Amino acid sequence: MPHDFEKLTQYAKSFSELTPEREALLIEVGEQIKPKLAGITEDFYQHLLAIPEASAFLEGRVESLKKTHTRWMEGLFSGPFDKAYTEHMFKVGDVHVKVNLPVEFMAGAMTLINHRLIALIVETYGDDKEYCAQILSAISAVTGLSLLVMQQSYQEASLAEELEKFLKISGMSRALFTNLATAYRDK
Amino acid sequence: MRSDMLISVLSELNGASADIEATGVISTDGLMMASVLPASLDEDRVGAMSAAMLSLGDRTAQELARGELEQVLIKGDLGYVLMTYAGKEAVLTVLAKPNAKLGLIFLDVKRAASSIAELI
Repeated sequence: MPHDFEKLTQYAKSFSELTPEREALLIEVGEQIKPKLAGITEDFYQHLLAIPEASAFLEGRVESLKKTHTRWMEGLFSGPFDKAYTEHMFKVGDVHVKVNLPVEFMAGAMTLINHRLIALIVETYGDDKEYCAQILSAISAVTGLSLLVMQQSYQEASLAEELEKFLKISGMSRALFTNLATAYRDK
Repeated sequence: MRSDMLISVLSELNGASADIEATGVISTDGLMMASVLPASLDEDRVGAMSAAMLSLGDRTAQELARGELEQVLIKGDLGYVLMTYAGKEAVLTVLAKPNAKLGLIFLDVKRAASSIAELI
């Protein structure tokens, strides 16, 4: 199904309050923050590996996942947060469904990332409380946007997967299912 | 032209028994090809629901080792719904009254389904 990623971007921004000023701020601090993100990734995966439910999904893949994760975090401080970014995050959500990752893992992981980013920002910019608070708001906005898009994708992919199963079990063709849904569409 | 011929078969089936209230020929994708339905029934819904039920019946017969599906019969307190394949590409759906004599209807429906299969 084709998606309107521009619309989804605006929708996600309306919740996350990722304003152009906050986007600019993330890019502004990027130069100083990006070199420290590999350390956050390392700590993040150490934590995940200590959670039995999560570690089962990481076996044998940790090193490659760390690289992808660091790249994504660098993107948080690079921008732009446009429809291409939304499309990318949507695909990330989709991949998580394909590996059968429980839905709570995404929100849980984002919480862990936020904790670490908060600590890093406070450590780096804590002397200027106002500036520090502005950066933290911007980080909260961009991670919130990312999570919202991934969850949207997750929900759609989960429903699509369930529908596939239903069609297989019931023997119904996709055309028949579409005609059935059309016949019962609100008139 | 083919639609007229299908209507003719359905009209004959409707006329064969006073117990038959409505009939329709539907593609296996759920689209109505021809029907003799009362105005109160939504053609699109009858079509899609019939094809869906027959598809599910097909799978049920297969899953529960009942052989090749012949028909799906639904009984409600206001009457019957009978669905059967008319060839591989179409479904014949018949709505009948609650006190209908099913034996006769089965025969008429089987005959009509053969005629429809030849037409399609």
